[in-house]
Amino acid sequence: MSVDLQNDGDSKPIISPDAATVSLPATGIATTTTPERKEPPPEKEADTRRRSWIVLSFWLITVFIGLPVWWNTTTIYRANLPLTQMTDWADGKACEPVFPLRIALDVGAMPEQEAQNLLRLTQHALDDLNDFSGHHLRLQLAQAPATEAAAASVRDDSNVALTIRLAPGDAAHAASSSLHPHLPILDVQYPPNSLPTANSPSSGLATYIATQLGSTFAEEQNIISYLLETSSITPEHRPKGISQEVVESVSKRMTRQLKYSQTYHLTFSLFTNGPIPSSWDIEAAIDEYMKPVLDMLRPIHNFTIDTQVQLYASPGVQSQVLGKEDLSSFINAAEWPLSPSIGGAPTVNFIIYIGNQTIGVPSEASPAETSQSWMIPQWGSVYLLAPPPAEAAHVSSETLKQPILTFTSHLLTLLGTPQSGSLPLRLSTLARIRSADLLLRASSSLGSLARLTLALPSISIPSNVADGVVKTIQHLELACASLGGGASSQSLEHARVAEREAERAFFEKSMVGQLYFPDEHKIAVYLPLLGPIGVPLVMGLLNEIKAWKSRRSQKLKAA
Amino acid sequence: MKLPLALLLAPLLTLVAGLHTSNWAVLVGTSRFWFNYRHLANVLSMYRTVKRLGIPDSQIILMLPDDMACNPRNAFPGTVYSNSDRAVDLYGDNIEVDYRGYEVTVENFIRLLTDRVGDEMPRSKRLLTDDRSNIFVYMTGHGGNEFLKFQDAEEIGAPDLADAFEQMWEKKRYHEILFMIDTCQANTMYSKLYSPNIIATGSSELDQSSYSHHADNDVGVAVIDRYTYYNLEFLESETIGDLFDSYSYEKIHSHAGVRYDLFKGGADAARSRLLTDFFGNVQNVEIDGTRNTTMIDDELISLSKTIARLSELAREEEMAAKNQSDTKPAPRKVQVAKPLNDDNWWTKKLVGATALVGCAVVWGLGSYFEASL
Repeated sequence: MSVDLQNDGDSKPIISPDAATVSLPATGIATTTTPERKEPPPEKEADTRRRSWIVLSFWLITVFIGLPVWWNTTTIYRANLPLTQMTDWADGKACEPVFPLRIALDVGAMPEQEAQNLLRLTQHALDDLNDFSGHHLRLQLAQAPATEAAAASVRDDSNVALTIRLAPGDAAHAASSSLHPHLPILDVQYPPNSLPTANSPSSGLATYIATQLGSTFAEEQNIISYLLETSSITPEHRPKGISQEVVESVSKRMTRQLKYSQTYHLTFSLFTNGPIPSSWDIEAAIDEYMKPVLDMLRPIHNFTIDTQVQLYASPGVQSQVLGKEDLSSFINAAEWPLSPSIGGAPTVNFIIYIGNQTIGVPSEASPAETSQSWMIPQWGSVYLLAPPPAEAAHVSSETLKQPILTFTSHLLTLLGTPQSGSLPLRLSTLARIRSADLLLRASSSLGSLARLTLALPSISIPSNVADGVVKTIQHLELACASLGGGASSQSLEHARVAEREAERAFFEKSMVGQLYFPDEHKIAVYLPLLGPIGVPLVMGLLNEIKAWKSRRSQKLKAA
Repeated sequence: MKLPLALLLAPLLTLVAGLHTSNWAVLVGTSRFWFNYRHLANVLSMYRTVKRLGIPDSQIILMLPDDMACNPRNAFPGTVYSNSDRAVDLYGDNIEVDYRGYEVTVENFIRLLTDRVGDEMPRSKRLLTDDRSNIFVYMTGHGGNEFLKFQDAEEIGAPDLADAFEQMWEKKRYHEILFMIDTCQANTMYSKLYSPNIIATGSSELDQSSYSHHADNDVGVAVIDRYTYYNLEFLESETIGDLFDSYSYEKIHSHAGVRYDLFKGGADAARSRLLTDFFGNVQNVEIDGTRNTTMIDDELISLSKTIARLSELAREEEMAAKNQSDTKPAPRKVQVAKPLNDDNWWTKKLVGATALVGCAVVWGLGSYFEASL
């Protein structure tokens, strides 16, 4: 534009030095004349000023509109994340991972004073017994006598994990206890003379109850301390107390269980090596032998079920007797349609294979017999069924009983249900373990996201990630507050939401893209763009400055 | 002194071994067009091998940018061979290509690794790994210094790959990774990696090309690259160390590179890893006892029926209580048109109003000036 400005407002033709060579085509003779150097007429004051204004306005536009627009359109949007809070959660500073279990002591007709005394002594004994501070058993007196119906309804709102029902028994026998099969109740029969007196320092009954409780909750304690051990929580915030052997045994269990999901697809497949059997009574069998357990697990998991039959299915291993290595390649992953992509929920496979192969691994208990089924960790299980007699084309519900019961027990194992204790206790323990697991996983996701945000400065963080993080923290707080509840407690629900939100925030779809551009690429993009704009801009400014300087020096001279 | 140390280490080792429960493979070819036949053959032969070694198809992600089997120039339609003896058709019966044609992009590859995909993505196309999965990542195509070209249109840079692996590590999406790449200047591709537990190997150094092994005169093009060819030959050896020792300049015609420093335990630990830790099938099946030892029996079934019934009762009671507590009639709601998402609703309204007013003002001014002229 500085070039344009030369002619601006001056309509007289200027003979530039370049036009000095004039060729005369009419005559064909080129005559070269050197005209005396003519200075252009002096510029008018108004023109100079106008030119300065033009240069200035271009610069103003570039600096105050161009640069902000460029900056805004090229910076990566990064929502503000509560980074310190997120790291606090990951390190275990925000929520003390302690699982207080309330245990009600139902003393029946015992006088108040004695009951208080027994409570105090038992709590002492418990505290002495328990060396793992992350899992804390807290005793309290039950308000109402625990009838069965009352216990069922009380369980929901008061977060009592277990009720101990004391009843005086035979004086001749020592104290005995049994877990109630339907309800989280520990029935203790004690000889009447074993009640502690008002100021005795210890009591046989109290110690007995404490050890019983300890053994009842031992498995849960081990699993929870393992979860804490393997989580992102820093050692100083983690309650101590787990031995190496326990870690190993629990680790084996943890590796085979499925990752928590609210819904699982159960796929039952019947594979036969020939044309028959071609139908099975699977619906009735599931209703009869598996549905009750699925119903029972309803507060923790949902299940969808589908079934399939495939004839002439050949397994991955053809040998007659299957060794242990054969079992792991028995599933013909290539030909059997076993990973249906139904929705987003993980699939658990249960396979019944009808053929005449047998497992050749003798079990330790009775070497003569061999088993018929095996479980594949994190995947499902397989049951080998002998071909039905008399060429029957239909597999009856009775034949399926044993396989389905086996599958049910495998399902419980795959879901990570504890193995000891009465069923209601195992269930509430499962709920607690899962909420602890989800809580820790959501916290560690938050930590990962926080570290990633710092480590990759060029990753964009949309605002819904920030929303997700806030929601996660909110639900984590709620879950943390209600830790230690039973199967139907709020803790699991909140932990579930927190984990889902954390996953969604971390796996936000728009947080992808090529992050890295080499410098050569940047030059290649900007040079063609900025060259034509930048050169006139800078040259114009330089000319202006030069002109201004010369004017000033002239003014100084004149003065 | 040695014995106690070994005893101390023993549980640690079993712990490490116990940590790993599944093997996954991500096999990526990145070039199109007939003359790149060998790259697709590379990938397909890797696919065939890992499948034969026991990784189920659901755990193999195969990315093929072009369809050589159905290329009109293919003299043997429907087949792909990686050897001029044409003994093994790599495009046989059971082949599951997860990403095909123009789906093979840098973005999709990074999305696959970091699992940042939408709900519409089927599970079979996702890398559903966890902290106990070993992943084998194999890439082949045309590369250069710190980049690998995808589809003639874009390229992935070494830092991008490193960042993707780092995001996987942060989210505990792998236990160990074996990264193998066969391109020109392949070793530069893994030079930027910084996440732990990765063993990396490549076919050629900076400024070195990766060469093809041989051509099939009937197919008309080279059918396999040297590095991949000799890898396949040795893939059934015992340990990773054995495999890496088998590389030589005489065979590959370029200097194959190996990187151990990210791996926990360094070169020794990495070299002693079994190849089956990455390629094999790792189902630690648990055989049940005999018929009568299952934990579940009729008693348990009836028990769980009772429990389900009881909790159902409790839930009903709770619902009843809740219904009693809020039985007052809900205030009548008037249906109003509501925006589906309420983010920046007012801002958008404001912008719209401003634009309208601006237009009106401009129009007004225009007519005013027109009138005054």
